[in-house]
Amino acid sequence: MEVFKADVAIVGAGGAGLRAAIAAVEADPSLSVALISKVYPMRSHTVAAEGGAAGVVRDDDSLDYHFHDTVAGGDWLCDQDVVEYFVAHCAASLTQLEHWGCPWSRKPDGHVNVRAFGGMKVERTWFAADRSGFHMLHTLFQTSIKYPSIRRFDEYFCTDLVVEDGRCQGVVAIEVATGRFTFIQAKAVILATGGAGRVYRENTNGGIVTGDGMSLAYRQGAPLRDMEFMQFHPTCMPGTGLLFTEACRGEGGFLLNKDGYRFLQDYGLGPAEEQPRNKFMELGPRDRLSQAIWHEERKGRTIDTPYGAAVNLDLRHLGRKKLQERLPLICELAEEYMGIDPAQECIPVRPGIHYTMGGIYANLETETPLPGLYAAGECASNGIHGANRLGSNSLVDIIVFGKLAGERAAEYAREVQHSEPTTLAKLAADAEQRALDVVNRTDGSEKHSILRREMGQSMESGCGIYRTADEMQSTCDKLAELRERYGNVNVEDKSTVWNSDWLGALEVGYLLEVAEAVAHSALNRKESRGAHQRLDGFEQRDDANYLKHTLAFHTADGPPRIEYQDVVITRSQPGTRAYGAAGVAEDAQAAQEPAHD
Amino acid sequence: MTDGNKIIEMEVLRYRPEQDQEPFYQSYEVPFLDDWSVLQGLQYIKDDLDGTLSFRWSCRMAICGSCGMMINGVPGLGCRSFLRNYYPGKLRVAALEHFPIERDLVVVVDDFMNKLAQIKPYLIPKQVRALDQGEYLQTPRQLEQYRQFSTCINCMLCYAACPQYGMNTDFTGPGILALMHRYNADSRDDGRAQRMELGHADAGVWGCTAVGYCSEVCPKDVDPAHAINQNKMGSAIDYFLRFVKPRGASQ
Amino acid sequence: MSAQTDKRHPYRRPMRGWWKRDRYYIRYLAMEATSILIALYALILLFGLLRLGQGEAAFNGWLEALRSAPSVALHVLLLLVFVYHSYSWFKVMPKTLPAIYWRGAKLPQPVITRIGVCAAVIVNLLVIILLTGLQP
Ligand SMILES: Cc1cc2nc3c(=O)[nH]c(=O)nc-3n(C[C@H](O)[C@H](O)[C@H](O)COP(=O)(O)OP(=O)(O)OC[C@H]3O[C@@H](n4cnc5c(N)ncnc54)[C@H](O)[C@@H]3O)c2cc1C
Ligand code: SF4
Ligand code: FES
Repeated sequence: MEVFKADVAIVGAGGAGLRAAIAAVEADPSLSVALISKVYPMRSHTVAAEGGAAGVVRDDDSLDYHFHDTVAGGDWLCDQDVVEYFVAHCAASLTQLEHWGCPWSRKPDGHVNVRAFGGMKVERTWFAADRSGFHMLHTLFQTSIKYPSIRRFDEYFCTDLVVEDGRCQGVVAIEVATGRFTFIQAKAVILATGGAGRVYRENTNGGIVTGDGMSLAYRQGAPLRDMEFMQFHPTCMPGTGLLFTEACRGEGGFLLNKDGYRFLQDYGLGPAEEQPRNKFMELGPRDRLSQAIWHEERKGRTIDTPYGAAVNLDLRHLGRKKLQERLPLICELAEEYMGIDPAQECIPVRPGIHYTMGGIYANLETETPLPGLYAAGECASNGIHGANRLGSNSLVDIIVFGKLAGERAAEYAREVQHSEPTTLAKLAADAEQRALDVVNRTDGSEKHSILRREMGQSMESGCGIYRTADEMQSTCDKLAELRERYGNVNVEDKSTVWNSDWLGALEVGYLLEVAEAVAHSALNRKESRGAHQRLDGFEQRDDANYLKHTLAFHTADGPPRIEYQDVVITRSQPGTRAYGAAGVAEDAQAAQEPAHD
Repeated sequence: MTDGNKIIEMEVLRYRPEQDQEPFYQSYEVPFLDDWSVLQGLQYIKDDLDGTLSFRWSCRMAICGSCGMMINGVPGLGCRSFLRNYYPGKLRVAALEHFPIERDLVVVVDDFMNKLAQIKPYLIPKQVRALDQGEYLQTPRQLEQYRQFSTCINCMLCYAACPQYGMNTDFTGPGILALMHRYNADSRDDGRAQRMELGHADAGVWGCTAVGYCSEVCPKDVDPAHAINQNKMGSAIDYFLRFVKPRGASQ
Repeated sequence: MSAQTDKRHPYRRPMRGWWKRDRYYIRYLAMEATSILIALYALILLFGLLRLGQGEAAFNGWLEALRSAPSVALHVLLLLVFVYHSYSWFKVMPKTLPAIYWRGAKLPQPVITRIGVCAAVIVNLLVIILLTGLQP
């Protein structure tokens, strides 16, 4: 096996991984950094983010507001110390990207412009038209080329972490073009592998978003935290699940039911006004909107499409000029994929899986419980998103904590030494064998594409927008069955060059593990909070018992072991999550009470 | 999987280096729905008919740039081309032209990636600014000068459209030259002189003979031909200025 | 060196006959071909200049030759070629200029082409009027 010795190895070259790599070499240019990605960096799914990234810049805004929006948006399941660090570092991180060339949209005076986003009290979302993630990713990738000590391993598929002496000391990866294995030995490893949306069927995520890093860490004993909180985005294309960004509503778009009625006013988000108003109506948080659509469907007030019930996203009143200027990608998606001109017609939309709030547990310093292993970006659960992420918080999450992870890992790498090479080589060889076993087996009979499909269906029926114990239980049972069958999987393709059949099979292995963590975490949470809503007697939030993070631990052969962990509360006691007029009343009342902090 | 009753014949160029001497077309019958993309057709083949077919894809929404391929001989994104537009005829899908085929629809993109790194595709600021000084000011008008050229998704369709690149891969090629222009045209940037060392060369803008097909096939309206050809003027002016400047001016 | 073997064997497709692959290429080559004919016409004119230098008789002979039937046919053909070449030239023109702004909006490239074509037509008309006006 090839061996490459690095100080820091980073798995994932999306926004988080690239930012970490730059931070690590800026912290110490003499460090060698290996940046490993199963796709070329600019293909990473950060590229698909449309709407923008939050950072307080306006005079009428404050870090406090951003803090409260985030904590309330997360239904108080956020670690408030981390949120405090987060909001304080957003704007500077975004300015750093500007200095590297990111083409943020501007105001006439040349300053960066900001737009409204769901659940945010004041406009604070930086945007580059509706290609924000695209520009952030390309800026980071192109900037990373400046640093010669970042050694990229593009199209290397990571199959395992190497853990020795109680700490993580490298990763094993397949070079996709040749099928050969490389052991990338490192003193510190950062996981930045993105989310796991592909455990569901209809979703906004790219094909590569398969929870690999989560599963890798989980197998090594690091817990996955808060996995039951999977975000449904209310406005996705029926069938493919492609996203129509929240910025559509930030710019003033309406959601209508089949009678042309702005139904959100029936769900505590009103009153309905002509102009978009922050935290009202269409600018409410995603979980509430997706839930409202679910209820509309039960009331028979949705539109039928070949892919299920939908509501209408109405952008007509924005006019062609504004649509072309602010939402060009949306126009392109509607026109090309659905044959709809958004200036003339409404776009049918339905909720789809979008974001993984949970992930590998990482503390404020991005450290996981496994020494030498760091996690940042969507694959991590650092505690800022709680039970529901606010739109535009994630694109900043990845750069704020990507940078921190790079710095911390660099520090750690300077303190420790590589273990004995032969011991590590032996572990790497074992890892290689495990991955080869999947492709070399000749007696298997299961197709992984079928397992994947059945998993997606089962997750949708059991862990959807609303959940019941029975349905969750049957999903758990189904997943156990799929895990069993996965042991018998057959990879048709036995070749070595670009064998995507093999990689697909490995991905299904990762997905199934993550899916089990999601389903069991959900089943065990006997309350409703944020994106986890139950209909079977647990419709209310239960702070007495469940103001806690779920931790799912991998077990040798069965379902995960579930434990709980306290939430860090510094200055915002759990309150009612109110939006619309009720939210204003709530704020007014809070202002009268003595401040908690 | 689909209840559609339409079936389209997809012929896919196969090449497996471990067993094939040269590429050949393999035909598949694909039942489809009206909103299916060519990529969805390929996914159907991979999931249900033939797991050994390899191709790149991820976002499905024409933004990650993975799924460039020749569709009935024309460079296109698989995820943004729709089966209904080819039905009832048959459809031929092949790896992007002008790149070596690694396997099936997967091409070797090392050359593109190396070129991308060579042109210094990052901001070389006029004056370095500290973070606490805030952002560089840039008016919407200044942004407009390079915005279009910054939207390249590196899909390489323009390379598959460019016969000059096909005949001589030393040519830097449309997408990368457009990216070079993107930074040169950015009001915050001062790296033009450094970048144009490469831009002036034969492999740079002068390698282009204005075929123009690159701009035609570009899925993002980057218009690389425009980026390149407006630089020929600049490149020529730079060339003549060298003679006009007094000798030894650098002393 | 590693004991692992590398089974890569990238396949390069030949470029032979590339111009037949796409109609776009054929059009491009047609435009390139018109340049050759234009160069040819420049030679004819140059030859006239040469004859002029050789005296009046020589020059008149050249003029005479231009009036012959094959020569007229050639001129008609060349005129068509010139028209096509100018048009395709104006089509490329907007690509060679930095974007032009008009009242805050980018001027679309087809508009620039059209402006160029119109200008060419006007100039040609003027020249024709001028020449025919001078010759009674
Ligand atoms: C359609 C869409 C729109 C969005 N819009 C917004 C928005 O407007 N605002 C906002 O704040 N957030 C938005 N988000 C969320 C946000 O974009 C993501 O959370 C964020 O980009 C994740 O970044 P990341 O760096 O963690 O992961 P990614 O960008 O997904 O990168 C993951 C990386 O890990 C690599 N990798 C994974 N597995 C392996 C393996 N086994 N071996 C090697 N490498 C591996 C991949 O190759 C990739 O490079 C959106 C998300 C989607 C899907
Ligand atoms: S210029 Fe256009 S065609 Fe060429 S790589 Fe970029 S997006 Fe693709
Ligand atoms: S799959 Fe991303 S561009 Fe087609």
